[in-house]
Amino acid sequence: MNERWVLSRRQILKGMAAAGALTAAELAWWEEPLISPRRAWGAAPVRFQFSVPEPKRTALVESLVQRFNQSQKDFEVKVEFVPQAQARQKLITSIAAGTPPDVAQVWDNWVGEFDGMNALEDLTPKVKDWSGYRDVLPLAWETVTVKKRILSFPWVVTNDAVYWRTDRAKQYGATPPRDDWSFDEFLAWAKAMTKPDKNQYGFGMRGQGTWAVLYATEFMYANGAQVLGKDGRVAINSKEAAEALDWYLDLFRKHKVCPPSVPTDGWRQIVEGFGRGVTNSYIHNSGSSEEQKDFVKPENFATVPLPVGPAKKRVSFYFSETLTPFKAGKSRQGGFTFMSWAMESEPHFMYSKTLGLLPARKSVAERPEFTNDPALAGFIKSFPFSIVSPYLAYAGWGGKLDSEGVPLFQQALVGKLSSKEFLDKFAEMLTKNMS
Amino acid sequence: MRTRGGLDTAERVLGGPVLWTGLAALTVFAVAPFVWVLLASFKTRAELYAMPLVWLPSSLSLANYVEAWTSKLTPFSRFFANSLWVSSVTMVATTVISVLAGYALARFRFAGRQTLMMLFLATQMFPAVLLIAPLLSQWHALGLIDTYQALIYSNFSFTVPFTVWMLVGYFESIPRELEESALMDGCGRFGALCRVVLPLAAPGVAATAIFAFVSSWSELLFAITFTSQTEMRTLSAGLLFMVGQYEIQWGQLSAGVIISTLPVAVLFTFLQRHLIRGLTAGALKG
Amino acid sequence: MAHEATLARPLARPLLSRRARELLTGYGYLLPVAVALGATVLVPILQAMRMSLYRNVLIKPQEYGFIGLGNYARLLRDDVFWLSLWNSFFWVFGSVSLQFLGGFAAALLLHQTFRGRAIVRTLTLLPWIIPGVVVALIWEYLYQPNYGALNDLLTRVGLMRDKVAWLSDPALAMPAVIATNVWRGVPFFAIMLLAGLQAIPDELYEAARVDCAGVLERFWHITLPMLRPIIVVATATRIIWTFNYADLIFVMTSGGPVNATQITSTYTLLQAYSNLDFGYAATLSVALLVIMLAFTTLYLRVTRGVEPVG
Repeated sequence: MNERWVLSRRQILKGMAAAGALTAAELAWWEEPLISPRRAWGAAPVRFQFSVPEPKRTALVESLVQRFNQSQKDFEVKVEFVPQAQARQKLITSIAAGTPPDVAQVWDNWVGEFDGMNALEDLTPKVKDWSGYRDVLPLAWETVTVKKRILSFPWVVTNDAVYWRTDRAKQYGATPPRDDWSFDEFLAWAKAMTKPDKNQYGFGMRGQGTWAVLYATEFMYANGAQVLGKDGRVAINSKEAAEALDWYLDLFRKHKVCPPSVPTDGWRQIVEGFGRGVTNSYIHNSGSSEEQKDFVKPENFATVPLPVGPAKKRVSFYFSETLTPFKAGKSRQGGFTFMSWAMESEPHFMYSKTLGLLPARKSVAERPEFTNDPALAGFIKSFPFSIVSPYLAYAGWGGKLDSEGVPLFQQALVGKLSSKEFLDKFAEMLTKNMS
Repeated sequence: MRTRGGLDTAERVLGGPVLWTGLAALTVFAVAPFVWVLLASFKTRAELYAMPLVWLPSSLSLANYVEAWTSKLTPFSRFFANSLWVSSVTMVATTVISVLAGYALARFRFAGRQTLMMLFLATQMFPAVLLIAPLLSQWHALGLIDTYQALIYSNFSFTVPFTVWMLVGYFESIPRELEESALMDGCGRFGALCRVVLPLAAPGVAATAIFAFVSSWSELLFAITFTSQTEMRTLSAGLLFMVGQYEIQWGQLSAGVIISTLPVAVLFTFLQRHLIRGLTAGALKG
Repeated sequence: MAHEATLARPLARPLLSRRARELLTGYGYLLPVAVALGATVLVPILQAMRMSLYRNVLIKPQEYGFIGLGNYARLLRDDVFWLSLWNSFFWVFGSVSLQFLGGFAAALLLHQTFRGRAIVRTLTLLPWIIPGVVVALIWEYLYQPNYGALNDLLTRVGLMRDKVAWLSDPALAMPAVIATNVWRGVPFFAIMLLAGLQAIPDELYEAARVDCAGVLERFWHITLPMLRPIIVVATATRIIWTFNYADLIFVMTSGGPVNATQITSTYTLLQAYSNLDFGYAATLSVALLVIMLAFTTLYLRVTRGVEPVG
């Protein structure tokens, strides 16, 4: 290192120190992002947070937003994309700091939580006045109603069904699932579709995340169990529930028709697993149907309702993706206008179709694009026995399912707890958090 | 380093085969996952999802790179510029602040100096999670959401404590006599700092500056929470957009990783000599 | 100190004594850092500490109130907390010791002269440059039992028959995430120790060789003692940092399966964002702070401190 280099570096450091001093002084010019959004004259800005399920979807949402902005002059919607995994966190933090967006696309199981945080307003009067009120399925309104108040718009809805590989079923000569198949037929099918030497498993069970417990609960209901008994007390640790849970967990523990990664497989893993051909069936909502069309090709898979349980019943948990306005948002009128627009036939149709989710409005849901799609058949056929998730009954359950319910479930999965022990502890946790 | 004559057997073994095996193992260890990422960045979607695993891409297609660089949702050119700006300003500001503080702690005697040093260390012991909510309200109150400033100031929380610690060591390793004579000649303290101490400590200062840069380059939590517009995202936050709910766009994510790593790697090849020499200067005193 | 020059000067009486001026300058230099850290760290920490004394569950705003040490009592009874502490120690010491050993080996190797040294050094630094979340995603992909590169390689080479689920097995999950953390952390130690090695004057080694000291003896009596200050600083800061490092585990396993990888900092994240229990999350953070303060004081005292005598 010679002197010249040292000196010139000193000069650089000095220059940078000066620049640093400028940094401290609040220069406005470099605060603005280089690309400024064009703003229509006089239009009030509306902040819309959209959590990105798949990056491809953003083009659709942006074009929807653009259309809205061009269709009227009073409001301009600015969409903020947030990666799916951070969306809830971001909303929570922004509510806590007093800066929530005006409208956010929010899953229905978060609505109760946000209501508990006092962040939402009662939309019932506005909604009842809205033209499309009766066109939306009552079940859909139920998902966004907390303590008899409607808190948001259900935008798209879905329930759970089973995806299965039609081509491989033919290849291995397995009896394809019927619409009314039983638990035994399910097990037989999964066994026939498990080929460990080829790295293939019959059923991609979910072990991670809240829905791991919900899928298991659907099987428990099929055996006659319930989360809440008639007296309003937690009844999930009944004999019927334990039997059904045993049967369900044995798919992984005993029959080994599930891949070894089950305990930590979340949404992404079960969808990818099926997409890569590692699993030949999995339970999920219709949201991943478009992905599977890309992965596996539409002609190679189909969907079928969940199997009927020994108690001759079954349920599918119904839930919605909502558009929710926030009380502390700066532009509530604008938010509501945007939401009602998004629920109009054309935008509604475009959004649902691209996502593979079903529109909440009956008139749109009856279009052939939905009713004639085999990938959606299983879901549509499951509507008659779909109910809103029982775990939405109490806002306090949402977070606890994730933080305490899932680890308990995982313990049962790996054999550290018996089904009865898991259910007892689970019931205890639910009872403690009823609020 | 080693004199030619008189190597004993141990030295010969260590110098020869052990050295080469060791280097090979080290390089493979550090680089293997990168090689995987590099290969993935050239693969098509079909190749990425093929079972059994496809190791080599059939062609060196740059489609993923083009997509990552120009995509509207993940404009890597934009993310890159943002990260560069935020990290650079953080580096400069941190250096300025820590040089002043380090010098004061090294040279001036005052009560509570020990506690202060411990305090710097202690500030790193708090999980960033809990800082988020108070910081968010603070920045919101000051109207700094979606600005570079919020990120830069928040970055101080982890760059400054570490750099101050390091710089105290470097400054203390410079003999006081040099400054004394400068002070005798009528320079103020500040003059002594600039004219005498800094040039000698320059390698150490450069080293801490680089640490500050690299740490803020990969910072994630603040970047996600304090910005909402896509144009304001940094690279780390932007890379997360490739992670969808149901699939990870491995092709583009890999391209994005390579894009964000390559320039820093190239920079490092040139600077690593100075970095190491800088750390050497203060090494003996810790 | 040379006083002659001072005496030769005219006796002008400055407003403040030299000592006072020194003190003022000193505090002046400390002002920027006080503002920077005060606003971004100290104030939030104090706010969080205060929050730990309240019941503050975001979805139950009606229950908000001062409960004194109630959260702390709950902490002591919380099994998952104690488990997370145990996991944290395992995580920290497993990671840091292996990072240290790996980094030391790397430093020793990179200290030698050979062609292409600059390139090899840069390559060794690469794991440090990628954002932690991306590291987690890449390694999660590599560990995937059915389509991850690791199992594929091991199966092809013949070392594995049944696919091992690295991250889904409660016994293997922690070692697996530690391995990833080691990969990420070796460059840090490699640089710091390399710098230390380069500072050791060659003369010491020459003198030792003249005295017929072998390689191992030279290492033990010269290299290690001279490196001690760096080793202490590097390991202390790394231990503190690793204790708080939640990103890797959070992305790869979310603390599971069955809380096998739940460390205290991920547990804090869980309480804050899943349960929205900010009061309890603050309590956990304060507990973490206290533990680490105790540890650091002990550690520094045991290694006889790093405070430069000056």
